[in-house]
Amino acid sequence: MEAPQYVAARVQQALAEDGRTHELGIRVDIRGDQLFLRGQVSGAQQRLRLGEVAHETAPDLHVHNEIKVVEAHEPGEDEHLD
Amino acid sequence: MSTLTDLRIAAVGDIHLGEDVRGQYRQRLAGIEDRADVFMLAGDLTRHGTLEEGRLVADELRGLPIPVVAVLGNHDYHSDLQYEIAAELRDAGVVVLDDEGVVIQCGDRKLGVVGGKGFGGGFAGKCASEFGEREIKNFVSHTRYIAEAWKVALKEIVADERVVLSHYSPIKETLEGEPHEIYPFLGSYLLAEAVDTAGADLILHGHAHKGSEKGMTPGGIRVRNVAMPVLGKAYAVYCLTCDPGCA
Repeated sequence: MEAPQYVAARVQQALAEDGRTHELGIRVDIRGDQLFLRGQVSGAQQRLRLGEVAHETAPDLHVHNEIKVVEAHEPGEDEHLD
Repeated sequence: MSTLTDLRIAAVGDIHLGEDVRGQYRQRLAGIEDRADVFMLAGDLTRHGTLEEGRLVADELRGLPIPVVAVLGNHDYHSDLQYEIAAELRDAGVVVLDDEGVVIQCGDRKLGVVGGKGFGGGFAGKCASEFGEREIKNFVSHTRYIAEAWKVALKEIVADERVVLSHYSPIKETLEGEPHEIYPFLGSYLLAEAVDTAGADLILHGHAHKGSEKGMTPGGIRVRNVAMPVLGKAYAVYCLTCDPGCA
């Protein structure tokens, strides 16, 4: 059985290098047959694509897509640099 | 509340726009002219660096009522179409900096902006050197070349205030929250050293989505990580207070 660290690294590389996603900085954790994705992306479709690529790369694992979509809230208070 | 002598800079990085979010970011820019005098984008405007995404970003930024200055990020370079993307942005009225400077007239004030993508290499004491394999030498010399270009541009520019706009980080402090092991891929102290040597009032960067907003160079120049996941808002606004008598 392959060490989970190598599987997690392969999934992370796939998320960065797959033409559908090209997403860096997504955390991938594996516990038993469960795979967890965490991070932030700019849109809901990107989150779905990341889940798909992770599933294709590690089809035997159950993927939990915990990635959040970045909320672009209204600008808050200005910062004065004096 | 801003005073008359404040120069207000709206800034954001890492907006990573794609077709599925077309039009959404532009909505967030409504009224930006009431909040800021200039809008700066710190790279990673696209996800895959395709021309289609570059055109989409240009559409989102076209016709804003305040000057827009941008640098590209590593995502915008991925498809080797960085020059074409920059051309699309320039056609939309955006000033795109590639290791050079520009002076923006803001009322009676001249704002000098110097910058470019920047690059990595790591931070003092824990960084790569121009030694050994050609690939490592090329990596470090690329950052060194950029830092030198920024230093020259900062020294030559004539302005009341000077801001450096980068994608990669010049300091470690604004990377806090990112894994330490990837710091060499997130920035380089050579960028900070160059800016400290030439002088500036503020450095803006993105790239580190899990980093921290506020930091300072060893020379005391304020640094702000404006990556949108860090800010959690469409943009931040920084007010530079003019030195007495400069206006």
